[in-house]
Amino acid sequence: MFRFKREQSVVNVAGLKFGGQPGEMPTVLCGTIFYQGHKVVQDEERGFFDSAAAERLVARQAELSEETLCPAVLHLYARTVEAFERYLGFAEDVWSGPVIIDSADAVTRGAAAGLISELGYADKTIYNSINLGTDEAEEQALKESEIDSAIILAYNPAEPGVDGSIRVLETGGSVRENGLIALAKDLGIGNLLIDPGVVPLGSGAGSALRFSIVAKARLGLPVGSGIHNAVSAWPWLRHKEAATRRCCDAAAAAMQLLSAADFLLYGPIENADFIFPAAALADILVAEAVQDLDIWPAADHPLQRLV
Amino acid sequence: MTHEGVNPRRDRDDSWPPVRGDYTVGNPESGVAVVTLASQLSVKSAAISGPCKTENLGIEKIVANVISNCSIRFLLLCGVESKGHLPGNTLLALHRNGLDEQGRIVGSKGAIPFIQNLPPEAVRRFQKQVELIDRIGLEDEEEIEELIGEYNRLAQPYPDEPFQVVKRRVATSLAHFGEGDLLFGSEVVMDTSAWLISSEG
Repeated sequence: MFRFKREQSVVNVAGLKFGGQPGEMPTVLCGTIFYQGHKVVQDEERGFFDSAAAERLVARQAELSEETLCPAVLHLYARTVEAFERYLGFAEDVWSGPVIIDSADAVTRGAAAGLISELGYADKTIYNSINLGTDEAEEQALKESEIDSAIILAYNPAEPGVDGSIRVLETGGSVRENGLIALAKDLGIGNLLIDPGVVPLGSGAGSALRFSIVAKARLGLPVGSGIHNAVSAWPWLRHKEAATRRCCDAAAAAMQLLSAADFLLYGPIENADFIFPAAALADILVAEAVQDLDIWPAADHPLQRLV
Repeated sequence: MTHEGVNPRRDRDDSWPPVRGDYTVGNPESGVAVVTLASQLSVKSAAISGPCKTENLGIEKIVANVISNCSIRFLLLCGVESKGHLPGNTLLALHRNGLDEQGRIVGSKGAIPFIQNLPPEAVRRFQKQVELIDRIGLEDEEEIEELIGEYNRLAQPYPDEPFQVVKRRVATSLAHFGEGDLLFGSEVVMDTSAWLISSEG
């Protein structure tokens, strides 16, 4: 285990902290609800869903967070603004922590940023994401919103690998005139969370692990990833038993945490039952490993409760 | 039938398709490949078929597997478009417009439409070898099979060798450890005597 020479900033979103030296803060775990194909969703265009089932999932994540002390974020995915309205109303009723708003569609994301501000939810919201594809319309929507926390996606298909991802953050690489970090700050984002963007196994998924260390060393910002995507996109694993798939998910999560991640987009919220224990285990092991390096776990670290 | 003393041109290698992915190989001699976009459809008579949900890596795999089989002359786009990523729109744009200097697919409305692992010649070959059949939205498997049969009858093998895509390697510089003895790249090193990671950039 290791510590970073550069000071590691801690980002605070609605009281929940991301970042610091490895072993210092517990890992923030973000479970996704209403994702594409989620069984609780009845109409993804309009945002109708089985609210009782959804509430059970959210409550389970909260329970596991309380038990393990790994903080949790509710990651809301929506196809349309209409769906976002319903999902946000639900989140307001059943979830007190921060939320990530996410959509594959930039227009929907931009409109959701405006909606969040109208609802007075901006200080609890993390925008996912500012990326190479962010265009002027989305920039404008984000600038006009009150959102000040965002995930910065360092995915750079024009320059593969860790160096390309760092370049897209720092300089914009060969695609943009300025880096995404400068862009985010221009758009009023003060709380920056860095995500390399995980590609499938065979396409370079493993670079997310080294990226996390390099990005923290160079930037001092909180870093995390959706390493779960590498597991779910692995055709070989798809037909294996559920227990086998879960083992791989938990292993990937732990490897990402060992590689200095501060947060984890752990995929379907149903995975909370095995991701929270795996992450707590990794957090405890890392915290114990760095105590000789003068890094001490926070008062609300899993090490303080589970052992 | 082949003639003695004449090397018959091969439409594909035995190892075709060269790039792994979420697809089904049907009849490799067929002149039609099928992309079902975000839909999971059962397609039997195409050379190769499968979904494509992303506007960059997914597209690269399709191009690499299509141009390495000269039998394939038509690429049928069907199924539901993947919202936001728009791989169907991106495939059409790639075929129509190609790439700009940064590797961006010109005219694509997808979120991050870049090609990283295909040389420009591969894209040109894709544009020449196949014709795209735009039936985005179509999910009727029977109708898809009929279309495959219809276009397969029109297909003659592309008159050239199969195009094998060689993955572009990223230029690497010699390792520079600076004050550290463990290298992470991007000028980040670790001094393992202190387990301290620092950036020299």
